[in-house]
Amino acid sequence: MIKLSQIRKSFGRNEVLKGIDLTVKRGEVVAILGPSGSGKTTLLRCINYLEKPSAGGITIGDFRFDYKNHGKKDVHALRQKSAMVFQQYNLFRHKTALENVMEGLVIVQKVPKEEARERGIELLEKVGLGGRLNAYPNELSGGQQQRVGIARALALNPEVILFDEPTSALDPELVGEVLAVIRHIAQEGITMIIVTHEMAFAQDVANHVVFMDGGVIVEEGDPKQLFRSPKEERTKQFLKRITPESAYSI
Amino acid sequence: MGAPFEFGYVLDYLVKLLPAINITLVIVASSIVLGLAIGFVVALPQLYNIPVLKRLSQIYLSFFRGTPVLIQLFLFYYGLPEMLKLIAIDTAKVPALYFVILTYALHSGAFMAEMIRAAVASVDRGQVEAAYSVGMSGPQAFVRIVLPQALATALPVFANLVIANLKDTSLAFTLGIMELTGKSQTLAVMSRHFLETYIALAIIYFLISFVLERLFLLLERRLQRKGLAAI
Repeated sequence: MIKLSQIRKSFGRNEVLKGIDLTVKRGEVVAILGPSGSGKTTLLRCINYLEKPSAGGITIGDFRFDYKNHGKKDVHALRQKSAMVFQQYNLFRHKTALENVMEGLVIVQKVPKEEARERGIELLEKVGLGGRLNAYPNELSGGQQQRVGIARALALNPEVILFDEPTSALDPELVGEVLAVIRHIAQEGITMIIVTHEMAFAQDVANHVVFMDGGVIVEEGDPKQLFRSPKEERTKQFLKRITPESAYSI
Repeated sequence: MGAPFEFGYVLDYLVKLLPAINITLVIVASSIVLGLAIGFVVALPQLYNIPVLKRLSQIYLSFFRGTPVLIQLFLFYYGLPEMLKLIAIDTAKVPALYFVILTYALHSGAFMAEMIRAAVASVDRGQVEAAYSVGMSGPQAFVRIVLPQALATALPVFANLVIANLKDTSLAFTLGIMELTGKSQTLAVMSRHFLETYIALAIIYFLISFVLERLFLLLERRLQRKGLAAI
């Protein structure tokens, strides 16, 4: 179980997170929705300390982390509990697909190279890239790069995988292949937190939906209920603007 | 004026100048190695925005990039011993070559620092974040992810600096160093075959530059095959 409590973050005078509390159960897939500037990506980046919150804490399993009082080792430990899939993929450009997946295993987790290689191959096959093991990122399409990114995250066997708008940078025809992979691993019971603009996908894959606006969680709950009959006015407005009627009436 | 042109002297002097290549290469090699080290040390405060050190490194950079290397040679050769005398260090027995190497190292160090700063900055921040997200520490991310890519980006600039440094060493003759140019001066003055000497000298500099250029090109190709293409 992951528990965020009272997370606050300011950029200068602008407070973008105003005390966020969120609980994610083991194996749950949480989708975070909201207009741009609502703080959803910042929240995700706070979880693995890529952004430094000004206050708050996180508990992952029995590991507790206080965003204000911690040492370097704690940051290191926190980051090893999670893995991230980035909007811009952020693959290591000087390493092949397979090396990208192996890097964290060999360097951080000290897994023997042969074992890491086997695990890497297995994971790349799982995301449908068994034939591109030795391709460099610049030889892969956006969709393929993002799938390598997903395999890299999976390899670490983290408590939670954080997805930061994983399909936003992709050409429309490549979005499907990436979402299919995410859906596939969601079914395996890996805990995931996904910031996304793909409403239909969120509704389909998530067990829990969080709607954020202005640095607070406006509403959260079961996807069917939240999409069909949102309680808050702000949520209604957002969903109306972003989803045409037909897209969410199943 | 000089003696009438005789082509035979060009070949003759080519051979006579060859031993002096050693000194030239010693100056180039040692000042490049030292310069790289200096460049790293100077680039770090710039990259990590360390307040006072950043200011100091900027002063260093603007001095060594803003004054001719010939003047720097004179300042170090004549000025440094005077300054060291003040703290009771006698440099009378230190060979001029050491001053020359020090000057060239500091000079190329300034350019190396700029090269390193630009190359490191060119590796996008997202990859560093990705490295952190897989659990790497700061130094691990720097050594495993940033540095290899930065080196590949820096290589063409580095090649330029080495070749420029090679040609700059010709000024060391002004302090009486018997490197290629110094040696050619003595040959020319003795025989009065100025033109032949300088043709031979130009050929030697050109050949060394040419070989260096080829070597760097090969290295670049190898890196490209490893996906480390310079952008």
